[in-house]
Amino acid sequence: MSSIIKVNTVQDADGNNIINESGDVITVGASGDTVTVAGNVVKSNALQASDGGNVVSQSGTTITVGASGDTVALASGASQTGFGSNPFKNIVINGDMRVAQRATSAASITSDDYYTIDRFVTEIGSFGTWTQSQVSDAPTGQGYTYALKMDCTTAQGSPGSGNVMLIGQSIEGSMLQAIKQGTANAESTTLSFWHKHTKTGTNIVELLDADNTNAVSGSYTQSVSDTWEKATITFPANTSGAYGNDSARSLRIRFIIGSGTDYTSGTLATTWQTSITNANRYAGQVNNADSTSNNFIITGVQYEVGTSATDFEFLPLDIQTQRCERYYETSMTYGSYGQYAGQQPIAGVGSSTYGGSTSSAGGRQFRTWKRASPTVTLYHQDGTSGGIYRIHDAQKTTGNVASHINQNGFLFATKSSGFNSGYYYYYGYTAESEL
Amino acid sequence: MFSTVEKIYINDNWINEYKVTFTDGTLSTVPHDENNRHYLKIVEWAAIDGNNITDPGE
Repeated sequence: MSSIIKVNTVQDADGNNIINESGDVITVGASGDTVTVAGNVVKSNALQASDGGNVVSQSGTTITVGASGDTVALASGASQTGFGSNPFKNIVINGDMRVAQRATSAASITSDDYYTIDRFVTEIGSFGTWTQSQVSDAPTGQGYTYALKMDCTTAQGSPGSGNVMLIGQSIEGSMLQAIKQGTANAESTTLSFWHKHTKTGTNIVELLDADNTNAVSGSYTQSVSDTWEKATITFPANTSGAYGNDSARSLRIRFIIGSGTDYTSGTLATTWQTSITNANRYAGQVNNADSTSNNFIITGVQYEVGTSATDFEFLPLDIQTQRCERYYETSMTYGSYGQYAGQQPIAGVGSSTYGGSTSSAGGRQFRTWKRASPTVTLYHQDGTSGGIYRIHDAQKTTGNVASHINQNGFLFATKSSGFNSGYYYYYGYTAESEL
Repeated sequence: MFSTVEKIYINDNWINEYKVTFTDGTLSTVPHDENNRHYLKIVEWAAIDGNNITDPGE
């Protein structure tokens, strides 16, 4: 048996409304009341303000805070965690491969160097011949435009036992302090990236601690040939050995492309090795150099504190460029080593240096303060290194070098003779302070 | 990596920099600074028999 009582209002003994209905609006409590709910029985798709606008709403798995035209603010003294609380979370610089000051392609690579995309070094020891390129190839719908591609042009099917080939990035200790390595509060870290390799199978990424000679490895799998796939590798915290808080190289992140058996014959070391056993470093690594059909492509590289991979941090291009310029800058058009591309001349008035044994033209201030005193190369407009162009008669002097270099610039373009007082010269320069 | 390495002097004073010619012919200045990777390569290069840093001040 059941009963139904129909009323518009339920009141307490004082005559104040507890529940009231007017049309389709149901009001709980009255002005000045406190309405509490015992338990956790609050289910709603939307929480609304008194004007009917959504404060919080949910549709499917999307939760929206505020409504169009609202300002969402934190109360004074409140703190924020989670999204947006960790800018520059990506320790890797230029992980989306956008900036390529040196070149967009370099062929016949057989030795270690920085070739194309900023901050990414190639290390290769007798491991075939490669072309490296910044390619417009990226996983669809992820926001990336470019990737770093290694194209094998001469295969090495039987590498020497001690040989290794990799691409990687070295990180300054000052950029790693959030990891708190070497303390009881050391953090786990996570590396995420997209890969597209021709060769299917296992590949290794290594963190090599250059300060303390520790190392840890992680693996990922290319499941389908020449297809974009995402890898996420979480590395354990290391309470042994702190990173120096300075501008020297502390960490090397290494994407192994191929390795000799000296480094593959053991069991992969997925916990930090404080005494490195080479055989455990790259166990399981496939040989991406065993065919000239092979490509090895990566993009979206992010290394961050924590045990999970968050969305890739896309930086404004000007900020990303400036971060790259801490390690390399050119006064010339990217990929060009001459002054024919219409850029502004970098001029200096020639004169004899005090004392007379050297003559010089003026130096330049760098756009961005360098990590360390850089290697500087001067370029004539025709691309000759050490060359300088004298404007009034187009004379080309060679054998010039920068002098009195510091992190902020260089004072002179110098030669024992060759500059004449009062004439105008110009030249381009590169400055490199990579790790 | 290097074909030649020579100390740079100005007014008879070595200015703690090297004029280097890389094996590809590029002419550059490398500071005498252990934080410069090319300087570290110069140290390795000079340790090999037959490689010498030219010192015009000697």
